[in-house]
Amino acid sequence: MSIEKGFKRHGSHSYVAHFDESEKEVLLNLIEQLIELLAERVDHGHEDPLAAMVGITSHDSLPDDEVLRRLLPNAYADEVQSSEFRRYTESTLRGKKQAHAMSMRMHLKSSDDGIVDLDHDNANAWLGALNDIRLALGVRLKVEQNSSEQLELLPPDDPMRGVYAVYTWLGWMQESLLDALMDE
Amino acid sequence: MVKTATNIEEEIAAIFSGNTPWVTIVWDDPVNLMTYVTYVLMELFGYSREKAHELMMKVHTEGKAVVSTGTREEMEHDVARLHEYGLWATLQRGDEGL
Repeated sequence: MSIEKGFKRHGSHSYVAHFDESEKEVLLNLIEQLIELLAERVDHGHEDPLAAMVGITSHDSLPDDEVLRRLLPNAYADEVQSSEFRRYTESTLRGKKQAHAMSMRMHLKSSDDGIVDLDHDNANAWLGALNDIRLALGVRLKVEQNSSEQLELLPPDDPMRGVYAVYTWLGWMQESLLDALMDE
Repeated sequence: MVKTATNIEEEIAAIFSGNTPWVTIVWDDPVNLMTYVTYVLMELFGYSREKAHELMMKVHTEGKAVVSTGTREEMEHDVARLHEYGLWATLQRGDEGL
């Protein structure tokens, strides 16, 4: 691994990073899982096709999956108002988050030399997708209950140890992109 | 600030006519980076770095902060954009107590 890693600002509107093959593989794997997770819920045959076309769905409750509950949270403290809002917006939200992830996938896949060059909008999509992946991993790592000290002391044979390593790496990369964007 | 009678009458009128402003609240989250929350507030609301940083610090130290105020429709739009970028946000009427 080279020392110069993470995103650097090139010129005024360009944010560049290099990923080696193994890093690309890890990122693409996580992106695929995120895109799959964000796919529409399987309905039970009572979806109104016309309503679905305009993004209105019949499911209006919090998702069962703990990760999805964090990615698609309630908009109101009140359950009834939340459900109503969700019926009209959840499908759009899933689509936007998927679009961020797909943008990231496209940049990684189209880069033969591992160099990724982003403009401002691309960078925002990357930040959103990186953050969604970190939120998902954070749920699995239970960062709500576990302190970073506890997570750093996970035994070598604990499968969560690798997850935590990826989680911190993504945070570091997100921070480098933010530094490049805010460096004016 | 001392409230004048006119102010109070206006506020009462606003409550009954449904014009009470709504607010968007961002809640603290152990995953989101502090720099990221600041950046998202700058990007989505056009806030200066100072203002965005101040709001982020309020979220971090007090657990939550009001990040925007307006009509219910405007706040629903703001919450949807914050959710798009993974911030934990809700909306409510401004008089519901924070």
